[in-house]
Amino acid sequence: MTFKKRFFKISRLLFALLCLTQLIPNKIDKPDEFLYTLGFAAIIEIALIAADAFSRKPETLNLPHDIAAFLYALLIVWILATAKLSLLKEMLFPPPGVVFKQLITDIPQLLPHIGSSLALVGKGYALALAIAVPLGLILGTAVRAGNAATYISKFIGSIPPVVYIPYGIALLPSFRAVSVMVIFLASFWPILAATMSGVLYIDKRITDSAQVLNVGKTETLCKIILPASLPQIFTGMGQGLTVSFILLTSAEMIGARNGMGYYVKNYSDLGNYTRTIVGVLIIGIVISVVFFVFNKLQKFALRWR
Amino acid sequence: MPKIDIQNLGVTYEERGELFTALQGVTFSVDEGEFVSVIGSSGCGKSTLLSVLEGLRAPTSGAVLIDGKPLTGTGLDRGVVFQQYSLFPWMTARGNVAFGIKQARKDLTRKRILEIADEYLEKVGLADASSRYPSRLSGGMQQRVAIARALAMDTDILLMDEPFGAVDAKNRVILQELLLRLWQNEQKHKTVVFITHDIDEAIFLSDRVIMLTESPGTVAKDISVPFPRPRERSALLHSPDYADFRGNLTTLFFDSESKIGETEDDWVVI
Repeated sequence: MTFKKRFFKISRLLFALLCLTQLIPNKIDKPDEFLYTLGFAAIIEIALIAADAFSRKPETLNLPHDIAAFLYALLIVWILATAKLSLLKEMLFPPPGVVFKQLITDIPQLLPHIGSSLALVGKGYALALAIAVPLGLILGTAVRAGNAATYISKFIGSIPPVVYIPYGIALLPSFRAVSVMVIFLASFWPILAATMSGVLYIDKRITDSAQVLNVGKTETLCKIILPASLPQIFTGMGQGLTVSFILLTSAEMIGARNGMGYYVKNYSDLGNYTRTIVGVLIIGIVISVVFFVFNKLQKFALRWR
Repeated sequence: MPKIDIQNLGVTYEERGELFTALQGVTFSVDEGEFVSVIGSSGCGKSTLLSVLEGLRAPTSGAVLIDGKPLTGTGLDRGVVFQQYSLFPWMTARGNVAFGIKQARKDLTRKRILEIADEYLEKVGLADASSRYPSRLSGGMQQRVAIARALAMDTDILLMDEPFGAVDAKNRVILQELLLRLWQNEQKHKTVVFITHDIDEAIFLSDRVIMLTESPGTVAKDISVPFPRPRERSALLHSPDYADFRGNLTTLFFDSESKIGETEDDWVVI
């Protein structure tokens, strides 16, 4: 690969354009904190240049480059629309540098919120997993009970779990307990349904094999039925995790005193939209990291496929 | 006393609301250490017959005796190799073999189980692939693992349901020779019931060939294979006796099929 091909990229051009926006004078009075934007973009760009220089397979870097290109384009538009041309209301739309600066200064304040949110999701989701998977395995093997349970879980599962929040508030002692309950309810049904269908669609030849090997009942459940339905269970777990975060943030916005959802709601109530955007960004980052770990886990658990 | 004694076995089951007689009046026995092939065209009930021997399906009439005792269900006195998917996909080759050994011989330590597993994987030529999952093995290799598991379980009886039916022609020959060699090298020969639709495979491997006719499946012919062991494929295939024997067997095969055709006039034999 030639030097030009290796290093000349659209993302690099956009990075240069991003720097060049500074030639345009600011139209707003407050500082636009461009150094923070530049720092953020420069970290990405330096990593990409290093990767370009040392990678043995430069084609595999297309995706990171394309993602960076989108990011830079977004930053350029954002800067132009705010600081440079002031097309948007300054109070509602701070320039990116201001948001990045706030994000960095708020990290110590944000960590306990993130911790609180993750603890809630962790509790509700773990509880759902611990009950839904064993129950799904048993109901899936008991044909008649399983058929009836499928209809019931379809009905209850179709109810958006947000509607339980007011009832939960009346029912339970603390708002944290309500949050755990709705997260539990939200993730329980998709995991249960997926586990049951996983069991239902196990290849008969697999269960025949287990039977001719005289595998005992409990052992069949743990060592044959569970791993055989694991691919489906993971699909349900993914869905459960997605709705868990939807419910978490909704619940936190309704009545919590901490958590990422509370952070966003609180600062938008106070009219601090820089911090509102920071909160939204943080929620996106945290959920992405959680799903990254989840996908790694899934890949490992299903490495035999 | 025969090792396996099948007496007047009948199997009827319901399929889409209709009663279907898969087997009727099947009677034959297999002696200890004998290798018996059951052949017949697809749909003749040979797989149903094997699933009864496996204990996965109960007979509707008649009986199956093993060592003189009626068969009650699945049991670890019988090792089984299916045509496909005998292995658990989430266990490695070694894990699959070890799982079978652990089921059959509960007294062994984990270490000893793994030793035996490795020993049998080596016997089927898969020592290098022992840590691979079935999805990373070819169909032929998967069947080797299944055979290793069945043999390592050290059962008296081996039941094989068209084990090489889904393997390509070249590998089928290699696997047949492997199976024959392993069976022959055992100190005490296992009793084998081998289902196939391949006449050459049946002759090459077995002491006796049992022919089933279809609808309902019943024993049409029970023929001893006259060729001495150990058998060598190319010598066997080129001997004039082989050609005669195979010719007769094929004729018998089609005769027994067309007889059924005469009794049921809407039946077409191709």
